[in-house]
Amino acid sequence: MLAAEDLVVAYGENVVLHGLSISVAAGETVALIGANGAGKTTLLRTVSGLAPVRSGEIRFDGQPLGRRAAEARVRLGIAHVPEGRRVFPGLTVAENLILGTTPWRRWGQSYAADLDRVFDLFPRLRERRGQLGWSLSGGEQQMLAIGRALMARPRMLLLDEPSLGLAPRLAEEVYERIREIAAAGLTILVVEQNTVLALAVADRGYVLENGRIVLAGAAADLRQDVRVRQAYLGR
Amino acid sequence: MADFIQLCVNGLALGSVYALAAIGFVIVYAATGVVNFAAGQFVMLGTFAGVGMITQGALPLGLGYGAALAAMALFGVLFFVLVYLPLRKSPVVTIIIGTVAIGIVMQNAVLLSFGSWPFRLPSPLDGIMLQIGGAMITAHAVMVVAVTALLIGLIWLLFYRTALGIGMRAVAQDVEAARLMGLPVNRLLALSWVLAAMLAGIAGLLLGPMWFADVNMGDPIALKAFAATIIGGFGSLPGAIAGGLFVGLAELLGASYVSSAYKDLIAFGAMILFLLVRPQGVFGERIQDRG
Ligand SMILES: Nc1ncnc2c1ncn2[C@@H]1O[C@H](COP(=O)(O)OP(=O)(O)O)[C@@H](O)[C@H]1O
Ligand SMILES: [Mg+2]
Repeated sequence: MLAAEDLVVAYGENVVLHGLSISVAAGETVALIGANGAGKTTLLRTVSGLAPVRSGEIRFDGQPLGRRAAEARVRLGIAHVPEGRRVFPGLTVAENLILGTTPWRRWGQSYAADLDRVFDLFPRLRERRGQLGWSLSGGEQQMLAIGRALMARPRMLLLDEPSLGLAPRLAEEVYERIREIAAAGLTILVVEQNTVLALAVADRGYVLENGRIVLAGAAADLRQDVRVRQAYLGR
Repeated sequence: MADFIQLCVNGLALGSVYALAAIGFVIVYAATGVVNFAAGQFVMLGTFAGVGMITQGALPLGLGYGAALAAMALFGVLFFVLVYLPLRKSPVVTIIIGTVAIGIVMQNAVLLSFGSWPFRLPSPLDGIMLQIGGAMITAHAVMVVAVTALLIGLIWLLFYRTALGIGMRAVAQDVEAARLMGLPVNRLLALSWVLAAMLAGIAGLLLGPMWFADVNMGDPIALKAFAATIIGGFGSLPGAIAGGLFVGLAELLGASYVSSAYKDLIAFGAMILFLLVRPQGVFGERIQDRG
């Protein structure tokens, strides 16, 4: 469904992704793990159209995305849950979620069923629907950010460190929900520093170091891989 | 007592005009971070759009208002395309200086087109007086307050009850996240300039019959609208409204009960006091809390 080929991305002179290639098949959950500064966020920003490609290509459903704007990519079905959640602080939970429907909703079309589905997945959001974004806890904000992306009726979800800054129990809860979303058939690319959580939900994984893929394989194999265990699992 | 009531109604009417100018100013600031120093000239242009269509163009009032507001909407689009878009990647200070320069250009353009002789803009309620508690009040002043109240209601509905307005607030809070939602960011930013220009236009059409229309009227309005937003809270819509009304009341009551030479002292004194003691204003967040 998603394929990046020989992707080179740079900030000015500073090349961050050095000819990176990955692919995600329809229905798959793929984890891309790497240390801070490896280029994970840059990759997702490039896929969703927030950062420009220097060379190489990204295809979605076989179609090159080229220079298509972020606004157009989300209409194609690519929903990006950005690093740091980025919920709208001065908008209520309900307003944040309603904005998620922008890509498909025309005047007067109902989103009630979508809202119910998100509230069933994250009951805490239902309780807090009138509360402003900034007043939520980190875990609730992460749920809101994911819920907002689901409101777009995406075909693929890009998740940037959904466990970032969350207490371990909350991070596990968020990943439990991600597992449910994946089980429902949505294609997911999740980037993480938290290797344990990400490889537990993923079918396949990539290891990113300094903008290069150094290892790829089935998630189960990566969990057993000596190099991964030493570098990222601390045992 | 009758005097006091009359002053209060007229003060509220003048304050309503300041509030409208301040609301437009705040909408643009919240959406784009630009402090629009041409905001006063926007109001002046609104008055002269009315002069052009109604006093000189001899259009009937209703049609003239419509045409003047359409011209102001177009001006908002032009300002967005010709001033904001080319400058938006520059430091905010550059954009601000740009708005100062454009304000001067606007003033001179109006001076060239209309001359320095002041005009009078008619009101649909010219010559009608109302008696309230023994005070004689112009129906126009009451209309100004009523129209402003109605507009504030509509603006609230737009920002809090429509997807369009919620989208505008989202763009003001986080442009990048807004793009990820598929929001047409540029169109929404343009809309905030159009909204500001139209509100200034309405303010100008309402103010025209109360003052004489002259090319220098923009400067005092800009100062009052600016004082209103600082007193009310920089970036806050309720603050712009409360601040505008306060400044208008202070101006007329001050002129009458203190001295017309010092009529602006209360408003600007209050502004300086707020800057010193409570820079976030009555309703505002502290500016550094923004974003
Ligand atoms: N906006 C930016 N401008 C310049 N350099 C950046 C920018 N964002 C990230 N970088 C650099 O790109 C590299 C990769 O960053 P990032 O993609 O955020 O990594 P990760 O998400 O894996 O922590 C880092 O060296 C970082 O300093
Ligand atoms: Mg990152």
